Amino acid sequence: MRPILLQGHERSLTQIKFNREGDLLFSCSKDHVMNVWYTHNGERLGTYDANNGTVWTVDVDSESQFMVSGAADNTLRLWNVATGKCLFTWEFPTAVKRVAFSEDDKQVVCITEQRMGHQCAIRVFNINRSGDGTKQSKEPVHMFNPIGSKATVCAFTAQPNIIVTGHESGKVALFNVKTGEEIDNNERAHSDVVTDLQLSPDKTYCITSSKDKSARIHDTKTLMVIKTFTTETPLNSAALAPNRPYVLLGGGQEAMNVTTTSLRQGKFETRFWHKVFEEEVGRVKGHFGPINTIAVHPKGTCYASGGEDGFVRVHHFDDSYFKTELYGDLQIED
Amino acid sequence: EDQRESETVNTELLAHRRRLVDEWNAWRARCKKERAEQTGQEGAHEKKKEDDKEEIE
Repeated sequence: MRPILLQGHERSLTQIKFNREGDLLFSCSKDHVMNVWYTHNGERLGTYDANNGTVWTVDVDSESQFMVSGAADNTLRLWNVATGKCLFTWEFPTAVKRVAFSEDDKQVVCITEQRMGHQCAIRVFNINRSGDGTKQSKEPVHMFNPIGSKATVCAFTAQPNIIVTGHESGKVALFNVKTGEEIDNNERAHSDVVTDLQLSPDKTYCITSSKDKSARIHDTKTLMVIKTFTTETPLNSAALAPNRPYVLLGGGQEAMNVTTTSLRQGKFETRFWHKVFEEEVGRVKGHFGPINTIAVHPKGTCYASGGEDGFVRVHHFDDSYFKTELYGDLQIED
Repeated sequence: EDQRESETVNTELLAHRRRLVDEWNAWRARCKKERAEQTGQEGAHEKKKEDDKEEIE
């Protein structure tokens, strides 16, 4: 597997994301900027610069026309992917921690932080895709404060107006964004903060990672836990590998919590687990600090990891990755 | 004797794995069916076709 090192961020990565075709990779970081890279060679295509704080989260629409970012400067921004122009800015009382497009690209959901007397809020905005994208409504179409533990991650499900959320307490829940009603929850999905949530291509299941050192696959409709992957390190990210029966997990002890250096070695690896057998099948080294974010190419041909060390590493899978049948010829549905 | 023992373990493991795969595939088939029914209800016939194609893959 040949890794490509993407050098363009000066501080730790917060989220990375492929576009639908998988030819572009978007990255955001604590250094206030976002970058877009060509997946095949790691060349930087451009930089998105306007935020005045850590960019916590990014998402791109299915046509790679618009991009949204959420940042510590309390803004949600809409960008033109091709020109790098910031088209619209929404401002809030607190930082934006997570953004996600709906499947039809017409809506964006965002989570704002609970801080300074402000509750955690989930807002949904309609995106006006006509014209140059600069004419947007300032007001959200839906807004509510999730009761109980604050939300840390979210995404639209396949059902209209229903989002799936991960919470600080470890809860995973389904919300109706129109009413703000919590439709269903699994209070004990994790025992610590949910750090990442990624959906399967058909959105019928999702994987979550948590500081409780485990990752789980949930049925998006019933929230039933289907699979559990238990590691020995707090996890920051979990991703599903399309067309292969694997999940990719990344994390690592934060530097401030590490007292011995000898143990640090080998902790900053992307772990590959068999998604049906719940067994670890391999690890990929490379980062010098915890892995904060992992994304897999939509066709499953490569994956990328973004680290606390400020690097993004893109790994194109070898032929052997696609040919190896680790457990015989059992056919596993994606 | 050792060999026989390890063979029994292997057979058991294989059966266990087969069961896990069967359970997984059954759940996936259920999900895909429900998803297809849902998109069907929404009247998006084009979409349904796409879903069907995905299933064949």
